[in-house]
Amino acid sequence: MAGQKKLRLEVVAMQDKKKILFKLSSNKNFTINVSKPFNSLSVEFLNDFSNSLKNYKKISLYPDLIYLMFWTSKKKVKNLIQNLGSNEMRLGRGLIFHICPSNVPTNFIYSFFFGLLSGNSNIVKIPSKNFPEKEAILSLIKFLFKKKKYSSIKNSNCFIKYNNDNEITEKISAICDARVIWGGDETINKIRKIWIPERAIDITFSDRYSLSIINLNQLKKEKKSNVQLLAKRFYYDGYAMNQLACNSPHFIIWVGKKNINLQNKFWNLLNIVVDKKFIFDDIHVVDKYSNLIENIILNKNINFKKKFKNNLYVLEANKNVEQIENIRGVNGTFFEKNIKNLSELKKLITKKCQTVTYYGFEKNELKFFLSNNNLMGIDRFVPIGRALDINAIWDGYDVVRSLSRIITVE
Amino acid sequence: MNIDDILKLKAFDLVGKLKNKIFLKKIRALSLHHYQNCNEYKKIINGLKINLKKINKIEDYPMIPTRLFKKFNLMSVSKNKIVKKLISSGTSGKLSAIYLDQKNASNQTKVLKKIISTILGESRLPMLIIDQNPKLLDRSIFNARAAAIYGFSIFGKNHHFLLSEKDKIDYKGLNNFLKNFGNDKFFIFGFTSLIYKNLILNFNRGLVNLNLKNGILLHGGGWKKMENIGVSNSDFKKKLLNKTGIKNVYNYYGLVEQTGSIFIDCKKCGNFVTSSFSDVFIRNKKFELEKTGKKGLVQLISLLPTSYPGHNILTEDIGEIVGHDKCVLKGKHFKLYGRAKEAEVRGCSDAR
Repeated sequence: MAGQKKLRLEVVAMQDKKKILFKLSSNKNFTINVSKPFNSLSVEFLNDFSNSLKNYKKISLYPDLIYLMFWTSKKKVKNLIQNLGSNEMRLGRGLIFHICPSNVPTNFIYSFFFGLLSGNSNIVKIPSKNFPEKEAILSLIKFLFKKKKYSSIKNSNCFIKYNNDNEITEKISAICDARVIWGGDETINKIRKIWIPERAIDITFSDRYSLSIINLNQLKKEKKSNVQLLAKRFYYDGYAMNQLACNSPHFIIWVGKKNINLQNKFWNLLNIVVDKKFIFDDIHVVDKYSNLIENIILNKNINFKKKFKNNLYVLEANKNVEQIENIRGVNGTFFEKNIKNLSELKKLITKKCQTVTYYGFEKNELKFFLSNNNLMGIDRFVPIGRALDINAIWDGYDVVRSLSRIITVE
Repeated sequence: MNIDDILKLKAFDLVGKLKNKIFLKKIRALSLHHYQNCNEYKKIINGLKINLKKINKIEDYPMIPTRLFKKFNLMSVSKNKIVKKLISSGTSGKLSAIYLDQKNASNQTKVLKKIISTILGESRLPMLIIDQNPKLLDRSIFNARAAAIYGFSIFGKNHHFLLSEKDKIDYKGLNNFLKNFGNDKFFIFGFTSLIYKNLILNFNRGLVNLNLKNGILLHGGGWKKMENIGVSNSDFKKKLLNKTGIKNVYNYYGLVEQTGSIFIDCKKCGNFVTSSFSDVFIRNKKFELEKTGKKGLVQLISLLPTSYPGHNILTEDIGEIVGHDKCVLKGKHFKLYGRAKEAEVRGCSDAR
């Protein structure tokens, strides 16, 4: 392994014992290690993680854990390796400091795995909120860290929790080689002001906006069971993260000849899925109702269309609405707008736009749309139902490439 | 009955079918009033496609979520008529702002007085406040506390603050207060959590020469802290009796959005009771009315708000109706279970 540098973690953490609320393992000899991306030990570690997660008793309760289990399996990781190609010689950058959002249960572990697979040492600031998914993941990591074969991973990776405390963030920032910052715009701006070494880089995953497009001309040809299936897939995208993730859709843009009956049929079917599957908390419905009323007050071009009890609220944006990045729902509040053809979508896309989930379009049509328009927004088109998938290309970055450096020999 | 007639009613007079009839009329009239005079309210009603004139049940009138008062300055009178702005701190840290004109402010005081006089009597009593002098409090943090102290201090005289500048119990001052006023009825007021801390946990009866048994204690607010401690209303009363000898203890529930028409617990059964000026509904997660004995979100109705649209609000509190006209005090009897839990909010909006 190249580039070993011993670093007493005391410099970072031990001094701040009182401020660090949680540390996964006590690594007295924290060592910064770098290696080639996808080194065999890291791939094995992920696969072991996947297998242990499979045995977690309550996994069926958490779709995000099931997804994580598949994502970390050897087969999936192999796909990632293939994406990287092998023409270049690459090594990890060094120490990656991950600052993860408080409210996405599994995000921190993907961030860590990206860092590990790219061949780096990692310090991961885990979310402050106690999600069952988070607890399950941490106990699995702890279990794997105890295995002798992973002692080098244990000694060069660290999971910590602390309250927003600039001092700790400053200390870790000062010795890192890259920061991966997930969060709202405010958080990112705050952290970016904190100094990092000259060679270090920041990769930021900021507040983004996502929407869906549905081709009405295709949908009208589908039999009811397929419309039902589409509603089910859309439900997963829209409800699994309470519509608060940057890849959760807020708008459905109906493309093609306006078809109110068909659009309403879709909403009705979605309502049925929600009614069967989603469990609301009291505070969810208060948030949702408050958000609805705020939208009504603030947007004169938005018309309230229908309330399916508190399962689903639908609002309609009239033709004057062009800026949509700040029109947002929560816990199942969606806006709809009709456009005649795909090229009209262009006007609605801003830099903030991340994911467009689609139905009824060919990949080539979408590529054609992209190459014709040179947009500043849209980082990914994925079929409806896959908005929350996590890929090594995220927000337009190739994360593994960004966290490693290329070495040339001539 | 117009509002002035209603203000002539006693605190717990209006019940049953007559109340329903009058409330339906009043809530309809109030909703129309706010529709005509509050721009945002009008947008909501139009936006939700509601025809206020066609609604025939009180519970079908639209409720305004309390959070709206944190985001908008809602007024149903012109700005220059506003004489008072009430502010409360919410869980999210944002402040609710309630705007009162002269009439609304005076109606609030009148109604509060009617309700309070059912426990204190008509005359002002010497008042012991379980807090520091609000002049010493950091107004930016303790606004709600200071507002409550100022609001209730009009029902007392010879005001004395139990806590010193250093937030410690001033036993000397207390003994002095009791020497002067302890032989007769007096009024004790404070936030629930402060009463718990100072009169139950930290209170040293050995340092008090005289007794507090003539005190009539009214407490409320700050129960987020109490939830964490996990003391029920009846336990609270028992502990207070054991520690201080105070027998007359009342809990009140009121929101800044509906100041004046507060709820006081029935001395006998310990439940909160609606007054002639207020009503309560419990909603399930579909916003359907919840049956007696079922927990849900608390919706509050008050006849007082005229300068701002706070007559029909959806709170973030969880409660349960336990019965109607069941006890000494007539009205709807209900229990509270604290705030709707802050859900594990998901999303990538903030790193903490």
